[in-house]
Amino acid sequence: MIFNKNDINKLAKLNKIIVKANNHQLFLKKFDKFDYLSPLSHIFATRKGIFPHLKQLTVNMAFVKNFARLIQILSIAMLVNLFSNQLLAQDGKALFSQNCAACHAVNKKLTGPALAGVEERWPDKAKLHAWIHNSAAFLKTGDAYANKLYNEYNKTAMNLFPQLTDKEIDAIVGYVNTAAKAASAAPAAGASEAKVQEADNSLLFGLLTLVLAVIALVLLQVNSNLKKLADEKEGIKSPEAFPFWRNKSYLAFAAVILFLAGGYMTTRGAIGLGRSKDYQPVQPIFYSHKVHAGVNQINCQYCHIGVYQGKQATIPSVNICMNCHLAINEYKGEKIYNEEGTEVNGTAEIKKLYKYAGFEEGKPWDASKATPIEWVRIHNLPDHVYFNHSQHVKVGQVACQTCHGEIQKMGEVKQFTDLSMGWCINCHRETKVQFKDNGFYSIYEKYHADLKNGKLDSTKGVTVEMIGGTECQKCHY
Amino acid sequence: MKKYIYLIGFISVSLYMISCSDEVKRKPGSIYMPDMAYSRAYESYADHSNLDEKGIYYNNRPVKGTIARGEELPFSLTKDAPGDTVNYYASRQVKCPIDSFSASDLAEAERLYLVNCGICHGNKLDGNGPIYKGGEGPYPAKPATLVGDVKYESMPEGQMFYSVTYGKNLMGSYASQLSRKQRWAVIKYIKSKQVKTIATAVAVK
Repeated sequence: MIFNKNDINKLAKLNKIIVKANNHQLFLKKFDKFDYLSPLSHIFATRKGIFPHLKQLTVNMAFVKNFARLIQILSIAMLVNLFSNQLLAQDGKALFSQNCAACHAVNKKLTGPALAGVEERWPDKAKLHAWIHNSAAFLKTGDAYANKLYNEYNKTAMNLFPQLTDKEIDAIVGYVNTAAKAASAAPAAGASEAKVQEADNSLLFGLLTLVLAVIALVLLQVNSNLKKLADEKEGIKSPEAFPFWRNKSYLAFAAVILFLAGGYMTTRGAIGLGRSKDYQPVQPIFYSHKVHAGVNQINCQYCHIGVYQGKQATIPSVNICMNCHLAINEYKGEKIYNEEGTEVNGTAEIKKLYKYAGFEEGKPWDASKATPIEWVRIHNLPDHVYFNHSQHVKVGQVACQTCHGEIQKMGEVKQFTDLSMGWCINCHRETKVQFKDNGFYSIYEKYHADLKNGKLDSTKGVTVEMIGGTECQKCHY
Repeated sequence: MKKYIYLIGFISVSLYMISCSDEVKRKPGSIYMPDMAYSRAYESYADHSNLDEKGIYYNNRPVKGTIARGEELPFSLTKDAPGDTVNYYASRQVKCPIDSFSASDLAEAERLYLVNCGICHGNKLDGNGPIYKGGEGPYPAKPATLVGDVKYESMPEGQMFYSVTYGKNLMGSYASQLSRKQRWAVIKYIKSKQVKTIATAVAVK
């Protein structure tokens, strides 16, 4: 299509008017639905008087047609442009994630090799295309590099991708190249962040108190000396001074204080015997519940399988760790610190796990080589107490956090409650049983009936105590 | 006299504050009767390795050839050796031994899916769980898109069971976490979701 100069001038004029009209509310409204490809709608809009500015312009039908055509061509050209270049480059990522990401990463060996530098390793593009389209057939051609690769990756066959076009493969390679470049540039940018140490203030406060106490003592001494001097001057004879430790009222006071403090300490210590609230042992591997259950939102039951099924919540075996850590071999999250405040190297901790698992990176994992990790037990009930996890978690629908605290925020787990009998009984007295839609409690027909006819306050419900939750033999037998 | 009361008060408060500075409790503390608190009998997670020396033959594993009550029969296929895919493909022929799942079974299957599979394969079965997070999460490989990918929508139940039981590529075995019945139930749940998307896709068209 060829435009003469006149047309172009007219176009420029019209363009100016449209820019003006752009500000017009009605135009904007219409703009969304405006169909560039149909010149009719243009005319229609003009005729209906939606463009008051255009009204003054004598609309040349042929010109409108030309204008519409121009836009048509432009938009088609834009679309073609979009599909041929930009969309494919963008699509490289989508294609990669859809087809390759299950087995390949850009900078990391997974099931298959890292893809960064794939072009250098496969200088012949046709070969690469053939390999991706049908790796099994390409292997049979006896290509040395392909066979070496196949054996290196334990003869894991690569999936066939006959549906990928050569262009799409190039788009994927293009994405891999940009991603590899971005990744190599990234580490330089990552600045180290120093943790602001939370200063322990108690020592400072103690010292301050001591200093104040000394000052107070000195001032009191000065005061009494001055008073003595003043008294002497006025001729009042001061009583004979004798040391305060022989003052009977002082002695009595000190005795009472000592008795109270000693009694308090002794009782507290005696009650505390056998309770290990806040116990927070060092574990063989720094396993952070904060990272796993908090940041990565892994459900408690993913690892503690037994919690719904039996007495023990169960400590996960190494194979459960390896479900994820077969692939996750480095820690890249926020810095982690142990309870003393020293930084912990997450990647080194994962390597410790590999040692227990008998796993060597890059080789297939033989689970039979694993040795158990000897975690230090934190929560321990004496032998004469029976506690069952499934009864509380499945039947009673008690959240883990009720007894274990906010475990998803603990870097190192500590015992949240004292696990004393008083604590158990208190909870049994106060906790409402999940009576509704719970087959386990269907045998309590009388309570169900009482709840229905209003004899029992349904807002209070049935407590654990009411169904025998404080009977001795419930837990001691 | 008053001054000494103040003095004692000051000193005791400051001593209390100093003694209360919190230290990490790395030791469990003392107990009244150790044989009561710490079991003399063998408990879970106790070291069983030296039982043989005492003449106790116990290997804390079920006897070979036995099946727990209420459990399904074992999977007929064994795990492929690395690089071999014979049984993986043979598993396509295996049918689910459970005829029908009740609504409560499927509700439980959904719970099991969300607990065990959702972290990778996504709660919406879109292969984008919290540990992958579109490549942002710690997991480097993209988990399978269970709903919306032809490969997995057309994958037979038996092959899925093989993968869940023995693991496939980077996915580990879930045999220790899910019983055979639970595994079949989870697969049924996935299949039911896939059917739904196909149905809605058809309806949209």
